[in-house]
Amino acid sequence: MRKFLIYAIPITSLIIFILIMQSGNILKKPFGDNDNFPQAINDLIEAVGKEYWDVADQKVESLTKAWKKVLNRVQFSSERDEINKINICIARIKGAIMAKDKTNALMELYEAFYHWEDLGS
Amino acid sequence: MNEGLVVVVRAIISFFTLLILTKFLGKEQISQLTFFDYILGITIGSIASEATVDLSSRAWPHFIGLVSWAGLAFLMQFITLKWRYAAKVIEGEPTIVIMNGKIMENVLRKMKFRISDILTLLRNQGIFDLNEVDYAILEPNGSLSVLKKAEYLPLTPKDMNIPVKPTGISTELVYDGVLIEENLRQMNKDKKWLLSQLKKYGINDISEAFLVTLNDAGSLYVDKYKDNIKKVKDIGDYKGPH
Repeated sequence: MRKFLIYAIPITSLIIFILIMQSGNILKKPFGDNDNFPQAINDLIEAVGKEYWDVADQKVESLTKAWKKVLNRVQFSSERDEINKINICIARIKGAIMAKDKTNALMELYEAFYHWEDLGS
Repeated sequence: MNEGLVVVVRAIISFFTLLILTKFLGKEQISQLTFFDYILGITIGSIASEATVDLSSRAWPHFIGLVSWAGLAFLMQFITLKWRYAAKVIEGEPTIVIMNGKIMENVLRKMKFRISDILTLLRNQGIFDLNEVDYAILEPNGSLSVLKKAEYLPLTPKDMNIPVKPTGISTELVYDGVLIEENLRQMNKDKKWLLSQLKKYGINDISEAFLVTLNDAGSLYVDKYKDNIKKVKDIGDYKGPH
């Protein structure tokens, strides 16, 4: 039994470590209704494209909430720079929506989506 | 992002990965390490530390780097074990730097060693006069093995034809005031015998003894908790914290 544990404990530990480090792609997928980040981006693109600024204002809040939820899960397997870039994009999207600036809002939304795809991979 | 928490999780991953990998690589001691092994250790340690605190990149590439370096080190170990010629090329081989009392200058030059380095290594071995040295061999781990000239070798009982009994290795009978009965049985002694012996040292109870060892020749070493040394010698050259 002891000999088994001597091999089993390190192997199990290594497997757990690998799972933690590689969990980003799985954990960034939505588990509920409020943490679907790509869906929130798509909704925003649609709202901004049609210049429904009141809707966009609400959607950007749900995007922020979704991001905060996902961030707690992916922080152990992602790089800080990618996380910071998404944070900055969200801040700029908020500003662009407030200024009703369609061009900048769309630019930032697509950039946020690009960083999202890169996250944890 | 909770950076502190992420660093703690990454530290746990790096620490235990490093522990597992070093156990996997074997039991070589620091004194046995060659120069390359030493650099290898530093590099692997450096990757582990980066994996912990470098949050600008994911932990995964660092982990792969760590495992790759350890894997290559293992491969090198395997090659040097199986192929003696490769071992000589990779790990180096012992080199004679003093032969028949004469310094091999060309060898020293090739090894990038100065004579002052050799003199330092000799002094570390308690040799202050080069006349005492017959052979000196520089080992791959950087240490110097010295064979003194016959006239400077210490006198042994064999030289004097004095019969001696083998002392063997000593076994702990009492450790930190606790009797180790298993060792006592192994030495074919019992508690009664031990107590009678300890009485000679002024010990009435086993808990008064800090350490008791017995060697194969039957010689007992006893250390009590109360050392009865009135003035403790201080070897420090400057006042310290204790």
